[in-house]
Amino acid sequence: MSEIPRSMEATGAGAVARVAQRRRAQPSGWWGMALLIATEATLFSCLIATYFYLRFENTEWPIGGIEKPSVTLPLVFTAMLVATCGPVFLAVRAAKRGAPGRAWWWLALAFAVQATYLGLQIWLFADDLGKFSPSDNAYGSIYFTLLGTHHAHVAVGLLLDVWLLWKLARGITNYRLIALRVTAIYWYFVSIAAVAVVLTQLYPSL
Amino acid sequence: MAVAVPREGQRRTERLERIWKESSGLLGWLTTVDHKRIGILYFFTSLFFFAAGGVEALLIRTQLIAPNQSTLDPATFNEMMSTHGTTMIFFFVVPMSLGAFGNYLLPLMIGARDMAFPRLNALSYWIFLCAGTFLYVGVFTGNAPNAGWFNYVPLASRTYSPGPGIDFYALSLIFIGISTTAGAINAIVTILKLRAPGMSLNRMPLFCFAFLAVSFALVFALPALTTALVLLELQRMLGFHFYDVVFGGNTLLWQNLFWIFGHPEVYIIILPAFGIATSIIPTFVRRRMVAFPLVALAEILVAFLGFGVWAHHMFAVGLANSTAIYFAAASLVIVIPSGIQLFAWITTILTGTPRFQTPLLWIIGFIIVFILGGLSGITFAAIPFDQQLTDTYYVVAHFHYVIFGAAVFPLIGGIYYWFPKVSGRMYHEGWGKASFWFTFVGMNVTFFPMHILGLAGMPRRDYTYPPDMGWSALNLIETIGSYLLAVGLLSVFVNLAISLFRGERVGNDPWGGDTLEWSTSSPPPEYNYAVIPTVSSPYAMWDREDRERDAELLEQGRKTLEEGHETAASTAVDAEWDEVLDMPSHSPWPPLLALAMAGLFTFVLLERWIAAAIFIGVMLAVLAAWHGGEPQEA
Repeated sequence: MSEIPRSMEATGAGAVARVAQRRRAQPSGWWGMALLIATEATLFSCLIATYFYLRFENTEWPIGGIEKPSVTLPLVFTAMLVATCGPVFLAVRAAKRGAPGRAWWWLALAFAVQATYLGLQIWLFADDLGKFSPSDNAYGSIYFTLLGTHHAHVAVGLLLDVWLLWKLARGITNYRLIALRVTAIYWYFVSIAAVAVVLTQLYPSL
Repeated sequence: MAVAVPREGQRRTERLERIWKESSGLLGWLTTVDHKRIGILYFFTSLFFFAAGGVEALLIRTQLIAPNQSTLDPATFNEMMSTHGTTMIFFFVVPMSLGAFGNYLLPLMIGARDMAFPRLNALSYWIFLCAGTFLYVGVFTGNAPNAGWFNYVPLASRTYSPGPGIDFYALSLIFIGISTTAGAINAIVTILKLRAPGMSLNRMPLFCFAFLAVSFALVFALPALTTALVLLELQRMLGFHFYDVVFGGNTLLWQNLFWIFGHPEVYIIILPAFGIATSIIPTFVRRRMVAFPLVALAEILVAFLGFGVWAHHMFAVGLANSTAIYFAAASLVIVIPSGIQLFAWITTILTGTPRFQTPLLWIIGFIIVFILGGLSGITFAAIPFDQQLTDTYYVVAHFHYVIFGAAVFPLIGGIYYWFPKVSGRMYHEGWGKASFWFTFVGMNVTFFPMHILGLAGMPRRDYTYPPDMGWSALNLIETIGSYLLAVGLLSVFVNLAISLFRGERVGNDPWGGDTLEWSTSSPPPEYNYAVIPTVSSPYAMWDREDRERDAELLEQGRKTLEEGHETAASTAVDAEWDEVLDMPSHSPWPPLLALAMAGLFTFVLLERWIAAAIFIGVMLAVLAAWHGGEPQEA
């Protein structure tokens, strides 16, 4: 009985690290996020399936003389986002090892790159909107819907980052470590989804 | 010493009582995170929607009582038919099973003190209430949806349905989808993480396996519906072209997305019924379920296979032959797990010593109508037969046998079965049996003739029919049956309402029940169990030594977790004790967040984008306040 920890009471860096090390199973929060990711991944699958369903119901793609998407920038930006998995991973590792200060800096680095990514993507999105519109035809509709959905997921991730940076600046607790781990797997998912989305987006040019 | 020891246990339960006490009164119910209170809220709210859907059904049957009637005009008939289906499926069966039964019973059955995410649980309920209200604001302002519960395009596009009825439908379903997804995730994590230490997966009741399967199915099925609905609203409100053939869209895209969700949904509706059957049968025949591992696997397999059969709803739209044959074959495979469960139930009853009390009667009635509905289901896998009978009353007969008879009978049986646990009182047995016979006969009189009418060619969804078709007599019989059915269902709830105040008081375990919930008092205390229960089989109540051991542990103060709002968390498969969790207590944020979301959906409906954006800001502010405090600060 006494050896079962009241893990939520861990508030100092050392205590949090000890809880993390003796854990035999993922915490409830991790399972919750894993299942949210499962349902969101299904959402992306449905959108990508819609893209290809529409594509194979049309002889011409893109429809109506819309120019094919340019390849370089979207791929570079996606690589940028995927690269932030590194600092996110290192932030979790540092927090688990009882170094919340280092965790904060790794997360801040990831946040800076992710925010830049979203800014650049919004700029591209606006640029595309100048060339064709979602109400032109089904190609435009699914193109902007798919990209917009992914950008919204990145924006949610940025909000989680901001909240975590604010919390971690006030020290680490078991609750905040779980929040950090959960945010990390969210970013891994958003990065994988980014690859799937960008390959779909660039499909006419590949 | 022998005198002092019982006092020790008494002192501990009083201490737990103080720690877990929620305030009574309206404020207590608004801010509650107690899974039992939330379950009760779900129960009454979904019961209200059941009544609304029932009234709509009676109006439909009254219109069809004789040829060329004008009780309802054609437009209202379409609205009643669409709202009936939408209400029953999304706002009655799923919230009743997952919300009311799942919430109330899952933590009790696994020996936990609450759901894994108590505040998210409250949020699910408040979103459900707001989404249902949202739909019915549409109905009462004359903007009911009118394109069927499946809402096919192009009928549902702005061109052919210019009013806001379809928007009420689409937005309310996106809205309640959030609630259902959150509820399903909560149920999965609760089942996987909060089982009493020692309850490894093979010692978990079959009821929990069924709810685990349902919850997983929801997590993977709902996104397809959400996608279909979001694309529809983008087309209706912003002029996108997903379903619009002229601009490269495709109408079958809607049907595919809808049924990728829609067929798993059918099993989502019926699997909780299977779970309830596997709880009631062992108690009333006094033996364990036959073929326990096979039944557990079959429950999961039904949910899994349900994802590969959607296009059997689309045999008449001109699929390629190879596609249609695959889907017909896949649909037939479902017979295997369904058959396993059916034979297991029947064998268990036949080899046990049945007591034919009300709950078991409902389960036997369920088995009979499930066999009939299952048999007519198999006929649809014969593609030419399906093409002949699609859009006739034969289909209506089939799906009311499975999703009314087979899915709802066990829910009612379950309501009778657990009524003493929830209320602490017993219902009236004679009236209970009478209500079963009224409903059973009424159900068959209403829906069986529909098979014949369908074979005779009567199309579904038409608001009336001419007198010279030879359909009049059977339609009259159906309508009489539907009134009988209404009387039966009413008598269920009148019986329970009177018993709530006048029923005989019962102890912990009036039935000799099989699962853990019968070991605690009726109604259970806020903390469920003073001692985290010891479990060594799925029929925990029948393991006498374990229950005696719980009493000893209480005296010794072991596994009582009385330092705060605490419960045990275990490893997912073997249920080894991993940590002690500090659970959140009452919170004002879930209902406020649901209200802010209702604001968002309302202004999206009105296409007032700035106001909608403001409500997103309000939602973020509520979320920030919600996550301001942490468990160790409480």
